[in-house]
Amino acid sequence: MKKSRLKFILAVVAGAVFASSFSGCSKSSSQASEQTVKVGLLHSLTGAMAISEKSVRDAEVLAIEEINAAGGVLGKKIEYVEEDGASEPSTFATKAEKLINSDKVSTVFGCWTSSSRKAVKPVFEEYGALLWYPVQYEGMESSPNIIYTGAAPNQQIVPAIEYLIEKGYKKFFLLGSDYVFPRTANMIISAQVKAAGLEIAGEEYASMDQTDFAAIISKIEAAKPDVIINTLNGTGNVSFFKQMAEKNHSSEDYMTMSFSIAEEEVATIGADILKGHMVCWNYYQTTDTEKNKAFVKAYKGKFGENRVTSDPAEAAYDAVYLWKAACEKANSFEVEKVLEAIKGGGISFDAPEGKVEINGENHHLAKTVRIGVVDASGLINEVYATPKPVEPDPYLKTYDWAVAAGVQPLE
Amino acid sequence: MKFLKKREDIVCFACICILLAFMPILLNYGVLSSSSIVLFLGKCIAFAIAAIGIDLIWGYTGILSLGHGLYFALGGYAMAMYLKLQSTGGKITDFMHTGGMTSLPLIWKPFLSLPAAMLLMILVPGGIAAIVGYFIFKNRVKGVYFSIISQALAWAAYSIFIALSPYTNGNVGITEIKSVFGGIKGPSNQRNMFLLFYASLLLMILIFAFCRFLAGRKFGKILVAIRDGENRAYFSGYQVSKYKTFVYVLSAILAAIGGAVFANFNGSITPSQMTISYSITMVIWVAIGGRGTIIGAVIGAFLVNLCEYSLSSGGLVEIWQYIIGAVFCITIIFFKGGITGLVSKYFPIILKKLSKQDNINKNIGKIERSRAYEHSNGS
Repeated sequence: MKKSRLKFILAVVAGAVFASSFSGCSKSSSQASEQTVKVGLLHSLTGAMAISEKSVRDAEVLAIEEINAAGGVLGKKIEYVEEDGASEPSTFATKAEKLINSDKVSTVFGCWTSSSRKAVKPVFEEYGALLWYPVQYEGMESSPNIIYTGAAPNQQIVPAIEYLIEKGYKKFFLLGSDYVFPRTANMIISAQVKAAGLEIAGEEYASMDQTDFAAIISKIEAAKPDVIINTLNGTGNVSFFKQMAEKNHSSEDYMTMSFSIAEEEVATIGADILKGHMVCWNYYQTTDTEKNKAFVKAYKGKFGENRVTSDPAEAAYDAVYLWKAACEKANSFEVEKVLEAIKGGGISFDAPEGKVEINGENHHLAKTVRIGVVDASGLINEVYATPKPVEPDPYLKTYDWAVAAGVQPLE
Repeated sequence: MKFLKKREDIVCFACICILLAFMPILLNYGVLSSSSIVLFLGKCIAFAIAAIGIDLIWGYTGILSLGHGLYFALGGYAMAMYLKLQSTGGKITDFMHTGGMTSLPLIWKPFLSLPAAMLLMILVPGGIAAIVGYFIFKNRVKGVYFSIISQALAWAAYSIFIALSPYTNGNVGITEIKSVFGGIKGPSNQRNMFLLFYASLLLMILIFAFCRFLAGRKFGKILVAIRDGENRAYFSGYQVSKYKTFVYVLSAILAAIGGAVFANFNGSITPSQMTISYSITMVIWVAIGGRGTIIGAVIGAFLVNLCEYSLSSGGLVEIWQYIIGAVFCITIIFFKGGITGLVSKYFPIILKKLSKQDNINKNIGKIERSRAYEHSNGS
């Protein structure tokens, strides 16, 4: 009897959870009130990408709270609705639909992986909604409904290779995770290196969760490249660099240039291993601007002293402020009017990385490119920066070698 | 009354279908404020179709397949390949161009026409399941060994799909596709969405009816016999391996149909649908809903997905997986019959208490029967 009563209670509890989820279902469709404007945050808060996307989401929340403390946008406070993409592209698509159609948000800040962006892109286009995408990516895309606040290839990959060529590196080895960003990046790099008359010593791809790099490392040793162009992502980086260190390879004999290693990743891999290796981004925690000092202080103050700021987090922070600027210029929260204001150009923000401005034509930002070297304390120090922000060119149409190699997608 | 009792699952299914059928109408009259919930229910229909297949093989035949995501994704890919070619007008896609191809690869050519794509959508998963099932069941591989093989198969296929990125677009999958009826998102495409929704609903009803018919016949009884006493079924003269292979193929095809419907509603298909974790999620729907009842699979697929949909946002966004996990654990540990088991056990008691009629004996008999069923499942 006692057991059956316990079962009954458990059944009631489980039933209550189910029932409450349905009541939550209908509640979420309430409209934003007079004093607030609703925005959506769509990141993976569970699953494999949660570690990375948390930093971006935190930066967005920080920006929203700062704006609210300073009086909001057009006299309205920002209210954010969070959805979990669960590291699964189709969940991202479902949740994007929910935010746009059921929560009726004015805009969405979200995504990290290219696959999640590609999954939500048609949703935003078909509903005529607006997405702010904060991560550097492979380019070859320019959706009328997405603003890309991370770097296009010509603001990260291309200048980094130019820098290496200038410094006298001649043999390049391409190493990447097996997905769309490394594949496209390496297609661009190959075209660029070959156009300069230099040599690609090898091209290798590791699966996303590969932990054994012995075969790849021996291929690298056989090829003897001057520099390894590293587009590994996630846990692959940890295994690769640790196994390189185990073989006593350091930046002195095998220099690397990485495009997916920021301050957060340096902390997980270990500064002693990465010391002396090169990376390329638009922003580092050490970037010397007044705005950045305030940003780093606010970020650490809110989320803890041991947290580090990184390029994607900074780009996400900029996105919220740029949206504010666009709304103010449009004097409206309506997506159509905001997009029109963006198309008019001139929407800029004095960001921690320096002034950024949205290109009204291709929806990317003009950004300063910075080459950095990892130091022993785990921070990245700038060794080269472009004198002024580089205009975005996601399709690399202004580069003759890229046009000649036909890297542009089909019409 | 007796009629209702014997066919309570059909009544329940009819209720679900009527409820679903009313959703677009409610949306049309503005009672429902957003079409995204209708689109999501469409995805749930796809999940329910796949879950029915899993219930046939696991609930009825007792074979636990942890790799049905593979068949789900194969069906989804077949559909998505056709839809992608529709949107590119038969030309090669961006990812083929990036992969260095200049003309449409041979493997994509059949997907230019809808009938061929539909045929392959059923033949490819069915064929793979038939070959795999034939050898596995002929050699009397069963229990946990079969589960491991099914997982390995899903994993291998996942790796192949990632590695062949010029053909499959790697882990981005096939995106930016419309449904077979055209675009379904946004207010201007509402007619297409309703068309797709009702077509899918009809498909689910047909599949339910077919499977309910099969399960109610001698065939269903043989499946249960295989589950409860495989050796006895052998000794009784039944060719168990043939039945098993047939059910495996049937459930693979149902999963593929589910995947194809899903691709229509989702607008993309990615290899994450063929991962092991996704396959296990599908099994969980059936476990929560209740195995061996068919209706349980439908209820489970709808309930679990709707729960995930609404719990994973707002204030619960960081802890929703713990809540759902706890509900799973409670269901698996305490209620082996899942939701349907629970209802069929307690509902008569509640009814009895309410009406105080003297059909006590009947109810006791019913409880004992359900206990006996639970016992047999627990072994």
